[in-house]
Amino acid sequence: MVEKIKIHKGLDIPLGGAAEPRFADRRDIALYGIMPEDFVGFTPRLEVHEGDHVMCGQPLMSDKNNPRIRLTSPVCGTVKEVRRGERRAITAVVVEKDEVQQPWKCDTESIKTREGLIEAMTDCGLWAMMRQRPFGTIANPNDKPRDIFISFFDTAPLAPCPERAINVSCLERAINVSCPEMANNRQWLAAGLNALAMLTEGMVHVCVSGQWSVVSGQLADNIIFHEVTGPHPAGNIGTQIAAIAPINKGEKVWTMNRQDVATLGRLVTTGEYVPERYVAVTGPAAAHPQYYHITAGASLGELLKGQLSSANYPKLALSSQQLAVSGTRVISGNVLSGRAVGVDGFVGAYDSQVTLIEEGDCYDFMGWLMPGLKKHSFSRTFLSGVLNRSDRNMVTSDQTQVTHHRSLITYKFNTNLHGGERPLVFSGDFERVFPFDIYPTQLIKAAIVGDIELMEKLGIYEVEPEDFSLCEYIDPSKTEIQSIIRGALEKLRNEF
Amino acid sequence: MNGLRRYIDKIKPTFSEGGKLAWLQSTFEAFETFLFTPNTVTKRGSHIRDAVDMKRSMITVVIALMPALLFGMWNIGWQSLVVSGQWSVVSGPQAGFWLCFVFGLVRMLPLIAVSYIVGLSIEFAFAQVRHHEVNEGFLVTGLIIPMIVPVTTPLWQLALAVAFAVVIGKEVFGGTGMNFLNPALVARAFLFFAYPTHMSGDSVWTAAKWWGTDAIAGATPLGEMMGGGIRPTASLIDMFLGTTAGSTCETSTVAILIGALILLGSGIASWRTMLSVVIGGGVMGIVFNLIGANSYMQMPFYYHYVMGGFMFGAVFMATDPVTSAQTNAGKWIYGLLIGVFAVLLRVGNPAYPEGMMLSILLMNCFAPLIDHCVVAVNIKRRKKRWVRARTGQSVE
Repeated sequence: MVEKIKIHKGLDIPLGGAAEPRFADRRDIALYGIMPEDFVGFTPRLEVHEGDHVMCGQPLMSDKNNPRIRLTSPVCGTVKEVRRGERRAITAVVVEKDEVQQPWKCDTESIKTREGLIEAMTDCGLWAMMRQRPFGTIANPNDKPRDIFISFFDTAPLAPCPERAINVSCLERAINVSCPEMANNRQWLAAGLNALAMLTEGMVHVCVSGQWSVVSGQLADNIIFHEVTGPHPAGNIGTQIAAIAPINKGEKVWTMNRQDVATLGRLVTTGEYVPERYVAVTGPAAAHPQYYHITAGASLGELLKGQLSSANYPKLALSSQQLAVSGTRVISGNVLSGRAVGVDGFVGAYDSQVTLIEEGDCYDFMGWLMPGLKKHSFSRTFLSGVLNRSDRNMVTSDQTQVTHHRSLITYKFNTNLHGGERPLVFSGDFERVFPFDIYPTQLIKAAIVGDIELMEKLGIYEVEPEDFSLCEYIDPSKTEIQSIIRGALEKLRNEF
Repeated sequence: MNGLRRYIDKIKPTFSEGGKLAWLQSTFEAFETFLFTPNTVTKRGSHIRDAVDMKRSMITVVIALMPALLFGMWNIGWQSLVVSGQWSVVSGPQAGFWLCFVFGLVRMLPLIAVSYIVGLSIEFAFAQVRHHEVNEGFLVTGLIIPMIVPVTTPLWQLALAVAFAVVIGKEVFGGTGMNFLNPALVARAFLFFAYPTHMSGDSVWTAAKWWGTDAIAGATPLGEMMGGGIRPTASLIDMFLGTTAGSTCETSTVAILIGALILLGSGIASWRTMLSVVIGGGVMGIVFNLIGANSYMQMPFYYHYVMGGFMFGAVFMATDPVTSAQTNAGKWIYGLLIGVFAVLLRVGNPAYPEGMMLSILLMNCFAPLIDHCVVAVNIKRRKKRWVRARTGQSVE
């Protein structure tokens, strides 16, 4: 049975550069990197040295606080480099791929039980893809989650979302042609969901946007499908949890990305751990926005070859430290909550999207006074907002409306802050893009002053920084709200 | 523009840390960002940001104030030259539109200039001491203050009031965003209680004394009603258009409504607050109509909308996002009570003809409490859910 949920609050940002529904030719990427920063609360202990030979699924790092949680190598190869940042913190472990690849393997019989499955998942490193809420950390394998939530679609700007792609069947065909392994995706998704159903005594809630029959095969009884519609953040797992069964204090739920569910399904079906996925290269600064078929942790420098050769974007950010001096920002993830990793970084562990966007380190003469025809704003203080209202309540699934809207006004987006940072002035707009039964203004204030008791009362356990990304986007006082929420969550986590 | 940009970049080091004029850094920054939206980029989180910033929000409010301001200028001339009869005394024929307007402009500009110069100087000084950027909030406050005082307000009194409002009403709490009282109303209240003789009575509303002759008193509609009038002398239409005596720019309901359209259209001000103030005032007016104990109570309730500063307060003051209630439910309560108290004070209080100012200031004080109660309902709901989840589990 499919339950229907409609999300009313939110905003779809009309950012250009969505991926064409086609796959680039398979390319041989040599370098793969695991970045511990992707994993909230993970304190890395190095398990290998530079020059060591590693197999696919062999641990590169483990968590100092819980040795069962490991980050493993996605390929067979040689540890080329251990990158360190400030205070010698590990920023990435880089593996150079061998010519011959061998997947991690286990006996499919041994993973028919809950314990056996968890053992296999932690062993091969797939467990790191299982996150818990609250706090967004890697799930503790010893816990029993109340429920498991899976979002099968993504509504973030330019998100690779088969269900929302402009031409669904076209993308499906493209997947079948260029990645035949993924043709089994539907069976694997079903197998993955069934495996997840073993892990919880509660329900497995799967949220779909309803355009694509996504799985095929028998499903366990405690799997429920929800059809969720509405503007971003309808596809965010936080929004869906809040709409289905909000997290109470002391409860834990687990979440996993769609592609990792398929990887899990492949693991339980064939006994092989193959961390392959598709990733969309998107954004207004991408020369050829399209899909790529990669192994997790692929080097962005190799992946983006040809994407940034465009004459308009000659300068590249080499690393996250060099952001301000370069012409194009390389973000792993979406433009609202992704991480700027630079072109020598890697595709983030939880990301299936890379966004390229122009740096906005330029001045704008009398920017606050000009009519602003190309500026996007949730408020209607610019002429663009007066002339073109359709982006406010754009029906995202209706492709004709999207096209219509784009033809009216092309907005120019870059990373400019568009103003100076000011004390927070709450205009009441946050409430219009924040689809939770939570007062965002009050929660942000409580997070700023660090009042733990008040934050708990106001529902801090139900949110993650990404849930505030739209608030951060529309905020006229230019406050880093996501950082504030992350800081507050870390403070709470350390209290336990 | 490139030349200007180059020049700014050239002189920037002088005003930066270590430069000769580093003590003017905030001032320089304010002028620089006035000319050019800065080149700051995001670091993390939302990598792209909405084009709106505080400058844009504030300038939108200033634009929304323009119809009322322009009309007010004309009305100053109209009241002082034509209605009071002074012009015909001096030179015979009736004063034309442009004469009225220019007269009002000449009377209004010093008030605006004093307000901005005094207020911005203090703002710049505080920003410099705190090493903050100068906040844009005063762009609006500094324009509203001269718009809600009698035209005859002495400039030194205005200067004192502005200084009081900026320092005591805002900066002691940490600046724009931290204050709990609307600074413009703090200035108005300061004038009202410190110099009552200059702020009330019948003669302060027209600038006729300029001609050296005694003014023929132009009483405000509110003053007439408080004095026991049956109905204001001015017709409903006159009061709606704003051709009556009153504070400089608050008389014209129609000009204020144009401003309200701009504010609501751009999404800067809350329609909930505006609408609920109007409903609150109407409800209280109707209650008085039903009681009908004196002529003021018998006055049709909709007269309140067009008299005095009711609409100006509802549109430009009650909606101040910093000092109003911040939850949506809270905004309804806050606005309703402002409307109720404004009319209650007008009709029931023998001391002051206008109730809007005190009513908004009163509700500014209660806004945090209203929000607290609204949020408490949410907290209670969450707690109930938590208890239910726990007991539900223990049963299993």
